Amino acid sequence: MRKEYIDRQKREFGRKVVISLPIHYPKEILTALDVLCVELWGPPGEISGNQAGRIQTYVCPVVRKALAFIAGGHASEADALLFPHTCDSIQGLASLLPDFGGWNGPVLRFIHPKGERRASSEVYLVREIEAFIAQVETLTGKKLEPARLSSAVKLHAEIDALKLRILKLRRNIDMRDSELYAILRRGEWLWPEDHMAELKELASKISDKPQKKGVALMLSGIVPEPMDIFDVLENAGAFIVADDYAAIGRRISSSSAELPDNPLQAVIERYFALPPCSTRSSDLAGRVEYLTGLYSQNGAAGLVLHNVKFCEPEMFDVAMIKKRFAAMNSPVLYVETELEKQLSGQLSTRLEAFVEMASKGGESE
Amino acid sequence: MITRKIQYQMAKRAVGPFLMALDRWQSAQKSRKRKPRETPFGPPLQSVQKLKEIMTLNYFEGRYADGAVPVAWVTSGFPAEVFFALGFHVVYPENHAALCSTRHKVPEIAEFAERDGLSRDVCSYARTDIGSVISGKTPVGRLPKPDMIACCTNICQTVLYWYRNLAEYLNVPLVLVDTPFMYGGTREHHLDYVSAQLGEVIEAAERISGRRMDAEKLARVVENARDGSRLWGECLAISQARPAPWTGIDTFFHIAPIVTIRGTETCNEYYRMLKDELTERVKAGVGGIKNEKHRLLWDNLPIWFKVREHSTMTAERGFNFVCATYSNAWAEAGDLIDPSHPLESAAKTYTYVYLNRDLDNRLKTTVDLAKSFGVDGAVLHSDRSCKPYSVGQVDVKERLQKDMNIRVLLLEADHADERSLSGEQAEMRLLAFMENFND
Repeated sequence: MRKEYIDRQKREFGRKVVISLPIHYPKEILTALDVLCVELWGPPGEISGNQAGRIQTYVCPVVRKALAFIAGGHASEADALLFPHTCDSIQGLASLLPDFGGWNGPVLRFIHPKGERRASSEVYLVREIEAFIAQVETLTGKKLEPARLSSAVKLHAEIDALKLRILKLRRNIDMRDSELYAILRRGEWLWPEDHMAELKELASKISDKPQKKGVALMLSGIVPEPMDIFDVLENAGAFIVADDYAAIGRRISSSSAELPDNPLQAVIERYFALPPCSTRSSDLAGRVEYLTGLYSQNGAAGLVLHNVKFCEPEMFDVAMIKKRFAAMNSPVLYVETELEKQLSGQLSTRLEAFVEMASKGGESE
Repeated sequence: MITRKIQYQMAKRAVGPFLMALDRWQSAQKSRKRKPRETPFGPPLQSVQKLKEIMTLNYFEGRYADGAVPVAWVTSGFPAEVFFALGFHVVYPENHAALCSTRHKVPEIAEFAERDGLSRDVCSYARTDIGSVISGKTPVGRLPKPDMIACCTNICQTVLYWYRNLAEYLNVPLVLVDTPFMYGGTREHHLDYVSAQLGEVIEAAERISGRRMDAEKLARVVENARDGSRLWGECLAISQARPAPWTGIDTFFHIAPIVTIRGTETCNEYYRMLKDELTERVKAGVGGIKNEKHRLLWDNLPIWFKVREHSTMTAERGFNFVCATYSNAWAEAGDLIDPSHPLESAAKTYTYVYLNRDLDNRLKTTVDLAKSFGVDGAVLHSDRSCKPYSVGQVDVKERLQKDMNIRVLLLEADHADERSLSGEQAEMRLLAFMENFND
């Protein structure tokens, strides 16, 4: 279905297609220049072919699987690859594929600033985004018009506002978490206006009263894969009340209401208004503070830290997060997955046991 | 404060040098009494004693530094010249973790970080230093508490994750020099960004130390750093001679001054002395190993806790690691540093770092080293703890084998944590690799 959709975007709308590695990049620019962005989170499941063997097994599966996928010739519909500067491993892949083989097409790169907002990083980000615009203009042969960028910024700000509302009121939606996340994650490859339409339909299902019962959990991690984690939790009597996945919640900018008129400046403001993320090396104390706030505001009764195996940026934050939640007497479970098709039985049992333990701390409705 | 300053000065100028002199005397006595051992190595370098003194004194001074002078903990690739120019005592956690590994202390110390929730899949240097902060355990007696932590991402992004944690545990400010990765050449706005951050670092260091940066002093330190880097490069290049007068394994230890006291006259004096000694050995035909039959290249960080065993095992069979991409990385900066434009040139120098550049450049550097040192084989250490260094090695291996027609071994291990190494398996692989050369 995804392939058909992408083909149609190219055929009917003449859009260029860029396959992007995770996580943070200025999508507004791509939208404004009529480029469909399709994110590559692995993909999950068995690795086909032997290309993944070009990267050691102690490196994150997102990168190894992406290498297998692209170098295995499965990204042929893409007009370019986009590598945001997420971590050392994606940085390595961004060099490996074009330098040593596996991808001969155009490559776009976006090296976002690390650390806290500083005077130097503000100036840098403006210039890096300008450089990114130049790359996309070369790819498309189009010139970015400020009015188009303004519209794209507005569209993405609306999408963010809608997602924020959906996540905030999610317990009022009578829908399984797995279904809700499937819709939210379609934004990883749908044209933004199509995604917006689906989100609006989803938002229309928000009722006045809570529809969910059980143990309210907060999930934090990189990407909710395998997706059956939601079914395992739900079947065990839990539901998700707050989200801090890098693929979902950490990409929802909260600056929507007060954006500057200058569209480029608005892109900058939206970037700096993102929630803290390990891959942007946000201040650690600030991130822990943010998570405890999210947890309390949403009345969560337990936190599941769901990491991708060997994801170093995220692993480094875990100790501090666990310590703070332990100090709050809030139950925390740390699990790792490797973009497999399904959760293992062992992991499912751990999740079920955790839900039971969290439930003893008080059931939330 | 005054007591602390007196203690620090006493340690630096009197007690430390006295203890070093005593150690020198004791070593001389011992070596006189000791029967010469049969080893596959050439005569030991005389400079080793001086190296030991410099490094021991540096750590000894450090014990008394906090409260006496401003203290910064910095990454190995940080432009620490700014701190030396402001009179900081500078500590290198990476060097400390390597030291812990050579003393086989990593499992004991890192465990404190692991118990605190840090995964064993993260860099073992990071786990060691964080474990040391939590437990206070260190083989160097004591590390001074920093007034600030300074991190430069030119060697990896991992250092930033690690230093954010250190800053949190130690409750001190973190300053950052974020160096955009170089694909091909660099871009003007990337260098401007690094340059602007250096300005921010100086402002923070001035504020924390209560001192003003003296431009002349900074220029002197930068000049020393340039000369030190060049001298280090000259020492390494001497191994192009046959036999090489020292081993690549020696370079892993002699690298310490250019990493930790780069920019000081002590560093440069040391490398002048080492260079003279190496030159003399070449003239006299003295090799780093006794019977150099094969010359190897080492890629990636050393396996610190196994350096001696592995080098002995290879030396016994006539194999000498004559060059290493790791040691070479600190020699590359020499020609980029310009004391008359310290900040602008530092931006370039610290961005054009081996690990901050693409794989094409990495392969080219490796090939250049292999050619200029005339190697007939290479060992690529696939380092579980250093992903940025290790990603790409599978392809590099193939290219070296194909394009240079040399034998290459990809050896999986860890730079500091001996729990991550299957010792026997690694030794068997090294042995099998060396046997191939007898074909």
